[in-house]
Amino acid sequence: MRPTVGIIANPVSARDIRRVVANAASLQIADRANIVLRVLAALAACGVADVLVMPESGGIRGHVVRGLERSHNQGEHRFPRVVFLDMPVTGTVEDTRCAARLMRAAGVAAMIVLGGDGTHRAVVAECGPIPLAPISTGTNNAFPESREPTITGLATGLVVMGRVPRDVALAANKRLDVVVDGAKPDIALVDVAFVTDRYLGARALWRTETFRELFVSFADPQVIGMSAIAGLIEPVGRNEPGGLMVRLAPAQSAKLTVFAPIAPGLIDAVGIDEWRRIQTGIAFVPRLKAGSIALDGEREIFISERQQVSVTLIDEAFYTIDVTRVMRFAATAGLFQTTERPNTAALT
Amino acid sequence: MSTNPFPLAKDDLIKAYRTMRTIREFEERVHVEFAKGDIPGFVHLYAGEEACATGIIVHLSDIDRIASTHRGHGHCIAKGVDIGAMMAEIYGRATGSCRGKGGSMHIADLSKGMMGANGILGAGAPLICGAALAAKRRGDGGVGVTFFGDGASNQGTVLESMNLAAIWNLPAIFVVENNGYAESTSIDYAVAIDSYVDRAAGFGLPGVTVDGTDFFAVYEAAGEMIRRAREGGGPALLECRMIRFFGHFEGDAQTYKAKGENEHNRATRDCLKLFAARVSEAGVLSHAEMESIDREVLGLIEEAVATAKAAPLPAAADLLTDVYVNY
Repeated sequence: MRPTVGIIANPVSARDIRRVVANAASLQIADRANIVLRVLAALAACGVADVLVMPESGGIRGHVVRGLERSHNQGEHRFPRVVFLDMPVTGTVEDTRCAARLMRAAGVAAMIVLGGDGTHRAVVAECGPIPLAPISTGTNNAFPESREPTITGLATGLVVMGRVPRDVALAANKRLDVVVDGAKPDIALVDVAFVTDRYLGARALWRTETFRELFVSFADPQVIGMSAIAGLIEPVGRNEPGGLMVRLAPAQSAKLTVFAPIAPGLIDAVGIDEWRRIQTGIAFVPRLKAGSIALDGEREIFISERQQVSVTLIDEAFYTIDVTRVMRFAATAGLFQTTERPNTAALT
Repeated sequence: MSTNPFPLAKDDLIKAYRTMRTIREFEERVHVEFAKGDIPGFVHLYAGEEACATGIIVHLSDIDRIASTHRGHGHCIAKGVDIGAMMAEIYGRATGSCRGKGGSMHIADLSKGMMGANGILGAGAPLICGAALAAKRRGDGGVGVTFFGDGASNQGTVLESMNLAAIWNLPAIFVVENNGYAESTSIDYAVAIDSYVDRAAGFGLPGVTVDGTDFFAVYEAAGEMIRRAREGGGPALLECRMIRFFGHFEGDAQTYKAKGENEHNRATRDCLKLFAARVSEAGVLSHAEMESIDREVLGLIEEAVATAKAAPLPAAADLLTDVYVNY
């Protein structure tokens, strides 16, 4: 049986206040749809015949369907069969979760995700062992790396068609679990920040004076947002064991100040009191008792003094397709080379 | 006593709650009174959308101007227009804010910076460009805010105004009140560019989408936009995704909505309930304090209705007055 690939494209990422307080990008709907079409073409080139796509009401679907129809009208065979999932569309993050659940139940071999850290977090909560292929279309995007989506599509296609060994193709990722009063954990892929705001408001984080504590699964000085703060103090790789905990304070009263890119184009002073490495599997209790918890850069949970909160770093929590390694393997193994005429050169 | 974690002082939270509650009770009462047949013309009610008008206009003063829509009661109340004069206007009485000649869709009070509700879709956008240009010329830090719906967003006036505001770098804020329906037409059908943020980006404006049922989300985003505009940072667009509890107009059978949609929205997405829960959980406003405001507001609405009903209609001799006004 030929594998099916799932595509989840979020139409509402990159729409928050960072377009006003900074100069963050607004990736347009038509561009997102074009990314989906490029990915579909890449999957088809690898021999993937069937793709499940999340329906949404933000406009991506309409553009994609028109693109498929136009190609079909011209007699092209550039795309696989595309089926939109039969599910209610709410225009909220629940659509992403629902789509991931349905795709997992349908047995997809991989999920290609277009969005920012928040979108990927929602998918990870539901995808189980199915590997993700992240494509960055959000604002800060510490988790999905920037890359031309065609290449992500090709790498995914090669992996699901069995052309690349899984030990080469897949990378294990860490995750942060946040437990409030013993409830089911909320998760973060990159960072959990405790801030003094006790309201969710516009959700994004940009007022550094409210930052108090930060836990990161990796600390990368080359990304934007909370992970960058940790990364500029002590880098911790995605594939390194453990993470980093940073105690933050208003810059005026802190022991140390770091200038960090909090949002695209917004470099601000962040006060640091202390930091240390954290190990996986150990529950850390934050010092801040009342405020908000931001998951991957967005305020999601507000907490009061009465609540018990812990943060735990989890190892090998989910899998992603390592595009760099897959493409290097493909080149070395000659997977893109053929002696056939170019117009018949499907990679099957 | 817990400290206040919100970006507003307690007095301002009380003011915001009172404004939202006043809008809600005003609209619920007009809904009842209109059904009795005493109110002439059409009314379009703002119930369910209070967090949007309030979360934005709380940042404004009387020097700032707003231009409203056919669904304008909420904007008027948030901008400080007297509810007694508003109710009298809706009843068509001589004591109304426009002497009974405008009705629901033309309530205005320039002394409050309220340039008017407007029966013409998308007509507020060019008006606010004029107000913003005047503020820029005066250099008084004033801003203009125009509200329009997802349907009116397709009007040429709105698009031309965004272009004008961008090239003249006007202190103008464009607020899309996206309640999902242009009268009865879903945005899925009627809007080709599916994201209003995309539309703003097309004119070089930053655009932000927020949950319009969350007062604090609206407040925070609008506050940044308005501050930026006052400081010379130029125009911006804010899309508030929200809910209208009633039909497009009073009498609308709402056959385009799903069964139980209104009830579900009132139960789960009522911006007043969400606000009350947030401030009470934080220990900043108590239920007793809010219930006291509720009683006070109900009394004011009752008085406004009784006074309006008792007020005289405009005289026949007034028919041709107020056609043109110098200002």
